[in-house]
Amino acid sequence: MKRWLFALPAVLMVALFVLIPYLNIAVMSFRTPSATAIYGPGFTIENYTRVLTDSLYLGLLKDTLLFAVATTSICLVVGFPVAFHLARTNSRWRGLLYAGVLSPLLTGVVIRCFGWIVLLANNGLINQLLGLAGLGPYRLMYNPVGVTIALVHVFLPFMILPIMNSVQSIDPRLGEAARTLGASRARSFARVLLPLSMPGIQSGVILVFVLSASAYIIPMLLGGGQVSTMPTVVVQQLMGSLLWPFGATLALVLSLTALALVGLFGALTRRSMRGVA
Amino acid sequence: MKWFPAPRLCFIAAVYAFLLLPIAIVIPMSLNAGEYLRFPPQGWSLRWYVSFLHSEPFTSAFVRSLGVALIVAVLASIIATPAAIFYVRHLRAGREKFRLTMLAPMLLPEVLTSIALLFFFNQFFFGTQSMAPLVIGHVVITIPFVFLTVTSALYNMPPGVEEAARTLGASARAAFRRVTLPLIKSGIVTGAMLAFIMSFDNVNISLLLKPLGTSTLPIQLFDYLRYDFDPTAAAVSTISLTLTLSVVFLIDRIYGLRAVRF
Repeated sequence: MKRWLFALPAVLMVALFVLIPYLNIAVMSFRTPSATAIYGPGFTIENYTRVLTDSLYLGLLKDTLLFAVATTSICLVVGFPVAFHLARTNSRWRGLLYAGVLSPLLTGVVIRCFGWIVLLANNGLINQLLGLAGLGPYRLMYNPVGVTIALVHVFLPFMILPIMNSVQSIDPRLGEAARTLGASRARSFARVLLPLSMPGIQSGVILVFVLSASAYIIPMLLGGGQVSTMPTVVVQQLMGSLLWPFGATLALVLSLTALALVGLFGALTRRSMRGVA
Repeated sequence: MKWFPAPRLCFIAAVYAFLLLPIAIVIPMSLNAGEYLRFPPQGWSLRWYVSFLHSEPFTSAFVRSLGVALIVAVLASIIATPAAIFYVRHLRAGREKFRLTMLAPMLLPEVLTSIALLFFFNQFFFGTQSMAPLVIGHVVITIPFVFLTVTSALYNMPPGVEEAARTLGASARAAFRRVTLPLIKSGIVTGAMLAFIMSFDNVNISLLLKPLGTSTLPIQLFDYLRYDFDPTAAAVSTISLTLTLSVVFLIDRIYGLRAVRF
């Protein structure tokens, strides 16, 4: 029996249902629109000039990327100490803590959004607790604040897990050695631990950024129609009308911009890693 | 414990609360006797579970999701397991390229994959009139998870046991069936369970690829939450949560959650 036959079904699946559809969507973005069919005859670059000159779509692109940048930064600041603790703790609750980080990831995104609706609503738990302290009620959802909170919650595990993996592979004695040789706690962190955990930080940042830039469900539910991002507009366009070529262009412009930013981030952090790795 | 002074531990505890509270809150809400989603609940009752059982859209969506997730779990493991074996045992040239191909569906944004598949099925096939496009979409995005768990099971096998079986006279096929397969079975089962959860909870693929007029459980819940929310949604969420978390628990028993990496 030929060995490569083993891999054939999986390769065929990915080629047929990922590769070809992605090529197809790229071709679609250059098609002309049509009122009666999926697309009209001939090719054009007008879809791209329309996205890149219309202030409506540029604004959407900016908003979407701002959400992604905010979510990624908050996840990094909040997730790093947790990842570090999880990698280094010898508590007997360790397994449970790991499950605590992992289980939100394995719970449906709609359910997690629903939980946030219950917590953030005007008469929700948080506003009621604030009310006891004589504060509020504040408007915590159906606005960018609610969307950002839920985005951070949903994607935080994707920041914690890679950083944890990378901190685990650092020899704890390295930090101690730096301290013994006279470095302050902050200096040993900044010069030894932080650079060595850079690979984990890098993959966490990329994962969270890409995921939050393409999030659709969270802005829909926590935004309550008040918050528009690129993915929500694209899906609405595709479901409501036959503007497929333009929808394809919107989706591709978002993905390519996100990809370019990821590339830029990779180039910037590579330089900071070179000195140590 | 010099690494973790008290203020930092408090911060870490707060992050865990942040991670778990939105999930846990759904459970007391579903047992609420009152008419609205209010906290604290006004008495306890199972009425919203009864309301779920009497809601045809929710029950049929639940059964459909369960069926789809089972089929997806089986198909994804049948397709991805041989690919993982090929990658670990036989592939010599172009390994990184092959691995990236297998992981591509996980690395690409789900919404984009979903849109690409919507176009693809409408242009070249019969559109999204049957469940087939949805199932195919789910299988494609779950292949990487089975691939990852099976490759890690293969790497964790004690070295040399296969050769030992062959030396002792087993045929290649017998060595695979009697030695390799039992040793990687837990990896396959874990992958299949992950595929089950991913499919059961999936919204991005299902939303665009579902046939008109039908719905899976997360989609039904999603539509419901856009227009109104009474505690029926909490009951549905709790049921779905119980199902996925018991699968997670099983994975932990069989394989240990630590093997699940992303």
